[in-house]
Amino acid sequence: MTSALRLTGIHKRFDKPVITGLDLDVASGQLYALLGPNGAGKTTTLRMAVGLTEPDRGEIEIYGIDALRDPLATMAITAWLPDEPMLYDKLTPSEYLGFVAGLWRIPPKQAAPKAEELLRWLELWDVRDTRCEGFSRGMKQKVALAGALIHDPRLLILDEPLTGLDAAMARSVKDALRAAVDQGKTVIVTTHILEVAERLADRIGIIAGGRLLAEGTLAELRELAGGEDETLEDTFIRLTSAPAS
Amino acid sequence: MIGRLMARLPAGSFAWLALHELRLGIRNSSTKPWILQLGIALLVIWTLIGVGTGLLLRGIEIVPGPEAYAGVTVAAIAVFSFMATQGMLASQRTLYEAGDLDLLFSAPIRPRVVIAAKLAGIIAMIAWTYALLVLPIAIPIAALGHPELFGVPALLAALALAAGCIGLAVTLMLARIAGPRAARTVGQIAAALAGGALFLFSQLWSHSDDRSRSGLGRLFDQILASRAASHGIGALPGRAAFGDPVAIALVLGIGAGLFLLATLGMQTWFLSSYRAGGMKLGGKRKAKSRVAGHFHASLFASVFAKEWRLLARDPSLAFQIVLRLIYLAPLFLLAFRDNSGLPFGPSLAFGGVVIAGQLVGSFAWLAVAAEDTPDLIAIAPVTKAEVERVKLLAALAMALPLIVLLPIAIALETVPGAVVALAATIAAGWLSGKIEVAHAEPAPRSAFRKRRSGSWIAGLLTMMVSVGIGGSAAVAVYFLERLPGL
Repeated sequence: MTSALRLTGIHKRFDKPVITGLDLDVASGQLYALLGPNGAGKTTTLRMAVGLTEPDRGEIEIYGIDALRDPLATMAITAWLPDEPMLYDKLTPSEYLGFVAGLWRIPPKQAAPKAEELLRWLELWDVRDTRCEGFSRGMKQKVALAGALIHDPRLLILDEPLTGLDAAMARSVKDALRAAVDQGKTVIVTTHILEVAERLADRIGIIAGGRLLAEGTLAELRELAGGEDETLEDTFIRLTSAPAS
Repeated sequence: MIGRLMARLPAGSFAWLALHELRLGIRNSSTKPWILQLGIALLVIWTLIGVGTGLLLRGIEIVPGPEAYAGVTVAAIAVFSFMATQGMLASQRTLYEAGDLDLLFSAPIRPRVVIAAKLAGIIAMIAWTYALLVLPIAIPIAALGHPELFGVPALLAALALAAGCIGLAVTLMLARIAGPRAARTVGQIAAALAGGALFLFSQLWSHSDDRSRSGLGRLFDQILASRAASHGIGALPGRAAFGDPVAIALVLGIGAGLFLLATLGMQTWFLSSYRAGGMKLGGKRKAKSRVAGHFHASLFASVFAKEWRLLARDPSLAFQIVLRLIYLAPLFLLAFRDNSGLPFGPSLAFGGVVIAGQLVGSFAWLAVAAEDTPDLIAIAPVTKAEVERVKLLAALAMALPLIVLLPIAIALETVPGAVVALAATIAAGWLSGKIEVAHAEPAPRSAFRKRRSGSWIAGLLTMMVSVGIGGSAAVAVYFLERLPGL
């Protein structure tokens, strides 16, 4: 199976080492959940994947393209959705999508119908001419999600996409992510809500101390942790609290 | 030190809360260590100058005459106008930005105490700047044999008290008149106008006839001639500054009275403005536009549309930029004065180029440094250089309607001169924008007025480039006007 994202031997240090020899391989067409305790290096890993942070060492490939050598090519097929939506409060959803499409150089004839489709699908159609400044966090997150999808990315990377959303909003975002995977895209999410990873993810990676501790399907992780009837929460705590070997 | 003082006071009391406000104010204004060290060094030098002056004046009797009283009155008017502006801006920050009112009003403390402490904090921060300038000179002189000058800090305190109360009152009044949604914008515009009013008034007055005297100088002349600063209420500032106990008691009494009035009388207004300030901005608009209208074929068009919308939807910011241009008005007023001796065309060329530099620099800073979502731009498949070039082009395009006006005016006298002026205007705008882009440090758009504190080198370079190109354009226009056949 093709790799959507492959990280090899990644090291990153800020004041202290944050990522230490991380290897990660996410196959295309999957929903991959990256879990880890606070400060484990999840966000740094994803920021390196999308080109916002440069690794000290290592290789990053997105769909076989070297992201460090040809960042524009990988950016063109990748979308990034951080936990704080990247929005302009004074723009409306339509205007925001127009701007994002301009940055990705999507021709208007292609982008406009896609925007309309996304606005309707994410239930933003009626507020398309309302400035984002008055929106709730969930609404802003949906506008940002529309922005991430407007250029039809092959790889969608989301950092804590469900933080602060109410149940209905969280459901619609989860549905949107699943639908993206069904359309053949690859989705990578970080989340603290283990139930989301348990229900939604095809594969789960657990990162701690800047390294990948374990990876696999839920069943594989349970087996690795040694408890077949455990919840993901039990497995996660068992794996992340075990002394590093 | 403030923490220790607070520990000795009853928690939740007015004094305790006022000290808390002061601590927050000081910490919010904390700056880079080297700037702080430089500031302390300058303060020490300034104090030594005050001590030296005090020693020189020891034994010499200071007898204030009408000129001294008029001088103090003019200075008090100028300082008060700046203090009132600061008071308005600080009141807006307190009401709409501080974010701690929820905590304070949910605590078991009477709202009146909270409002009084907030107002005291505003007043302390207003007085701080002027105290640093005035007191290192006034206090040593007063302590070394001229105790009457202890009236200066009293006058300063009274001015800060009055300015803080008036700033809060104007802010609350505007919030009531303009409504919660427009309150912030209207307040910022009013504060910008108040800040520029004295300057503009001074400039326009000084250009109203052929006397080469500044506006404040002319105000001094008028006050001196009318003897308004020597008698009656007009004499209060001067008499207070020179130690008249009755005048000191009166100015402090007026200040304290205003403070009490503001605290007691504006409690309801303050609470309603604070509650309204918590409302969400931007009501839902009926959706009617076609989505396709917002999509553009080029990167430049997308960036230009975004920058233009963000500026147009931030009236206070647009107003600050316009105000910046108004501050450059003297450049033109000089050219229009019949007896200035300056040639019309070259003066316009010089002024136009300097304005272009300032305007494009402002827009470029907004587009590049004050980018709300730098990560979105960073992950887009466009190079940084390309984005910056497009943003600079957008900044130039936004400024173009204004900056071509002056070359058009020059065309009435000399068409080749106008072409040269236009080329110089565009060159100065482009280079100023490039300098801003090169020195851009990420900052919120609301920091526009303080952007020079981020990179003063950019400000200096921009001005040097503008003046250099402007001077060259002026010389070129001067000679082109005189070339036979042109």
